[in-house]
Amino acid sequence: MNRLANNVSILLASLLTSAALAEYTPGVEAWNVESAPPQQTLVVRDATVWTAAEDGILEQADLLVRDGEIRAVGVDLDAPGNALEIDGAGMHVTPGIIDAHSHAAIIGGVNEATDISTAQVRIQDVIDSESINIYRQLAGGVTAINLLHGSANAIGGQMAVIKMRWGASPEELIFDAAAPGIKFALGENPKQSNWSNDDPRYPQSRPGVAQVIEEKFEQAVDYQRKLEEMPQGRRGRDAVPPRPDLEMDAIVEILEGVRKIHSHAYRADEMVMLINIAESFGVTIGTFQHVLEGYKLARRMAEHGAGGSGFIDWWNFKHEASDAIPYNPALMAMGGVTVGLHSDNPELARRMNLEAAKAVRYGGVDEHDALIMITANPARQLGVGDRTGRLERGLDADFVIWNGHPLSVYTRVEQTWVDGRRYFDREADRAQREALEAERRELIAMVLEADQDEGAPDDDSEEETPGWLIGYRASELAHDEFCHAQDFGHVHAIDFRSGE
Amino acid sequence: MRYVFFVLCALLIGPLHAAELRQPLPSTYAIVDVRIVPAPGEVLESATIVVRDGIIEAVGSDIEPPPDAALVTFERGSENDEDQPPITVYAGLIDPYLAVASDENSDGGGNDNGNGDDEDGGSVPGRHPLIRPDRRLDPAAWPADTVEAHRRAGFTTALMAPAVGLLRGNSVLANLGDGGMSANLLAENVAQHAHLDERSPDGNYPQSLMGSVALFRQSLLDAAWQQSARNAWQANPAQSRPEWLAGMDVLAPVLAGEQPLVVKSEDALDSLRILDLVDGEIDLVLVGHGEEYKRLDDFDRKVPHILPLDFPAAPDVEAENDGHDNRDASLEELRHWKYAPENPARLVEAGFPVLLTAHGQSNPEDLFGQVAKAVEHGLDADAALAALTTGPAEWLGIADRAGRIAAGYMANLVIVDGELFGEETTINEVWVDGHRFELTRLVPPEVDPAGTWDLTLGLAGMGDVDATLKLSGEPANMDGILVVMGNETPLSEARVSGKRLQVRIDAARFGEAGTITINMDIDGDRGRGNGSGPFGEFTVRGTRSSGPGDEETRI
Repeated sequence: MNRLANNVSILLASLLTSAALAEYTPGVEAWNVESAPPQQTLVVRDATVWTAAEDGILEQADLLVRDGEIRAVGVDLDAPGNALEIDGAGMHVTPGIIDAHSHAAIIGGVNEATDISTAQVRIQDVIDSESINIYRQLAGGVTAINLLHGSANAIGGQMAVIKMRWGASPEELIFDAAAPGIKFALGENPKQSNWSNDDPRYPQSRPGVAQVIEEKFEQAVDYQRKLEEMPQGRRGRDAVPPRPDLEMDAIVEILEGVRKIHSHAYRADEMVMLINIAESFGVTIGTFQHVLEGYKLARRMAEHGAGGSGFIDWWNFKHEASDAIPYNPALMAMGGVTVGLHSDNPELARRMNLEAAKAVRYGGVDEHDALIMITANPARQLGVGDRTGRLERGLDADFVIWNGHPLSVYTRVEQTWVDGRRYFDREADRAQREALEAERRELIAMVLEADQDEGAPDDDSEEETPGWLIGYRASELAHDEFCHAQDFGHVHAIDFRSGE
Repeated sequence: MRYVFFVLCALLIGPLHAAELRQPLPSTYAIVDVRIVPAPGEVLESATIVVRDGIIEAVGSDIEPPPDAALVTFERGSENDEDQPPITVYAGLIDPYLAVASDENSDGGGNDNGNGDDEDGGSVPGRHPLIRPDRRLDPAAWPADTVEAHRRAGFTTALMAPAVGLLRGNSVLANLGDGGMSANLLAENVAQHAHLDERSPDGNYPQSLMGSVALFRQSLLDAAWQQSARNAWQANPAQSRPEWLAGMDVLAPVLAGEQPLVVKSEDALDSLRILDLVDGEIDLVLVGHGEEYKRLDDFDRKVPHILPLDFPAAPDVEAENDGHDNRDASLEELRHWKYAPENPARLVEAGFPVLLTAHGQSNPEDLFGQVAKAVEHGLDADAALAALTTGPAEWLGIADRAGRIAAGYMANLVIVDGELFGEETTINEVWVDGHRFELTRLVPPEVDPAGTWDLTLGLAGMGDVDATLKLSGEPANMDGILVVMGNETPLSEARVSGKRLQVRIDAARFGEAGTITINMDIDGDRGRGNGSGPFGEFTVRGTRSSGPGDEETRI
């Protein structure tokens, strides 16, 4: 990873920061990160440790990390002599936050909105490793996010779970332990209720959405049968094989239970509808996303095994999102549902700890259980519950050091670690800002010098980033045909939440 | 249009049989006393090139021009003094990626009308408008203007690639002379071309990048399936015949790694995406973007790169001087300005085969300044020349006939003042297949020939032919037509240098090979000069019958 070895910023950063901090220097651009921060052996001492596991909250506890794994959580731990000692007095340590619903690092459109089923498209192909959202969300304690396709069609694209390894390539970002998943959507978006659309697409009703999903499942059953009927060995050599179909391949994986459904849904009736269809094909739904009316069918969800991944205090942005209450996560949890809270928005994602705090305020969820809603539970929903989301021996060293109680509005993140590597450090960040400014001034001086040699600079100004969206790269917006073509610009602040 | 040419020939030749009266232009030349760069890293001072019938016959410092050769000399020759760099001859440049705009492309279908209407192919049931691997350049849609502009910049050969769609079609390799595809074609079906970031023109699938990637992936699967399904059915006809997918059969050599797949990449992440998507057994070549350096360590294989060199202009930082923070000049932008010129050298250093292209330049001549900049930032100058000559020749399988100045090679040459790479390269002449295109430095126009000219063209030993030349526009930017017997032929070129008017017509414009040129020195409303065509040389006399303001000259 020998990138820009003579980078001015690195030089200045080492002058401006202490030796310990100089080990990690964040870059304002992902590609310019010199190399992944080193995997460290470390121990955090005397902190309040929120395990998100059976041990609950441990006071005056230590966390020992080695080779990217959590080695021990407890009091007065022995640590190897070479371990980095971090004084955690007055600090709180929690598992890294996991956001099960994000579109924050996707290039070229989050919706393939054309057909009612686009199961063949893969978010994995369009991960934006350069999105500054990754770094900003690290600063909010987020260590893994689920990049989901939008909700424009009943069967959307295949999702991608990434770890926030700022600087890594798209391929290296992918959290390979995550269960394959796919976005589904019910209600107003797939039936095009709010689209300004001259050329409407089938279906235009909720029963139509149900019918399409059922039909696609039937087609996949047929497709799979044809594949299985293909003679093997010598007999198969001269047999015409079925034409491959990437859409059907993905749906077959759903029917086989390999690929989990994560379905955008607000209303209880259509969630019951999807559960019924799924059960008739022997399929278990992974999660309902947004799940505003989940409190009405918590027991049914729990019985089926579907998780709930929702907003806590966001509703009324469209008709189907009206019958919501902030007690929803608490009530679903009481009903036995694995409940998580998600952002659906790159800006909200930086303060997910406050979403958890709201679950304490509305419904009296225990503080530790509220933290579980943004850590262990979303990890379980994404099939990585045995890898991350808790502070327990053997799990990935994905954790956050806070300067106070993690559910307080006054608290901020001091450090965020992923795989035992320090990807965010508040002090290093502050020092780096000065280094970046120095680099910028040096480059401007070079431009002015070059101008004197070569004449006036070119005056054509670059394209402006649309002002109505904060936190997205221009490239993420440029091709969002769904929003632009459907004239959603004027309600975009809402549209995030309505589940793009 | 073809008719016009015959009329013109017939008029010029008169009643006698053409073959008896032909006065062909000389086909043997000796370019003497010039500095020659026969190949990257080699230089011959005060040397001579002999060209016969479009082929280089001899090159060297001690060559006696053959007696039948027309001598081509330059006032300065190879003398080098402070103010005047030596006249230098390089091998004609080869552009490995000349994208030909869609309206100059046509479908591969049989009922082709030559206007490149994509909808025809798209309407075949089951056929996607973005998936047109069987598209090829239609001989009737030869991109004469593009060819002209490229030749002017010293390019004599180019790989002409279709420029629209996801799977775009096959490229043709051609020289950049006059006379259309029939006179210039070197090879067909050289490579398949692709580009991921496409949206369906009809608003249908795909309308996102992930959709176009999925469609690309499905299409390659379909092509492979078509082969195995058809083979199985051929071997055993007693089963349901597989559906036939139009256009997919041409992808067989791509899948087998026998024909290159050239994919145009948009940015560093697009390059990673393409490397991930395209199987390692496919002979992948990337058309680059200039920010490869950002993620070069993440490229999993050293695929050849065809690099455009459109380095960013310096960001506007003037407001800094007012003491205000100018947010327009972001650190990202400033960094790219600094590092982009290092990109070609970094690719070479990292072991990637690199070819260069004029693609992305608003004017192909601008490439030379950019190459000079890349050389300043670490690119080896010989490697840069190789990336425009021997490199593409080798990749395109014509290294035994193009890319260097050597006996037996095509007489494709570019003749410049001094060095080829620099901010203000002066190209004097470009030779294609031994045909000489003089681009001598223009002096500022001293006359305005706009208006209608009555011309008398005189071929030696025969009667005169009347023609009308209509010119419009400013002397620096003229346009016009030549009218013979009421038939109008557009001019390929009309330029004014000093008091001389130079007019050129590419005969390919009416389906014939060759060039017609007219040079006329203008004195008020009178002109006198000479011309040449495939049929021989002639004299020109002209009188201006109406000025630019008159109604009839408006074209």
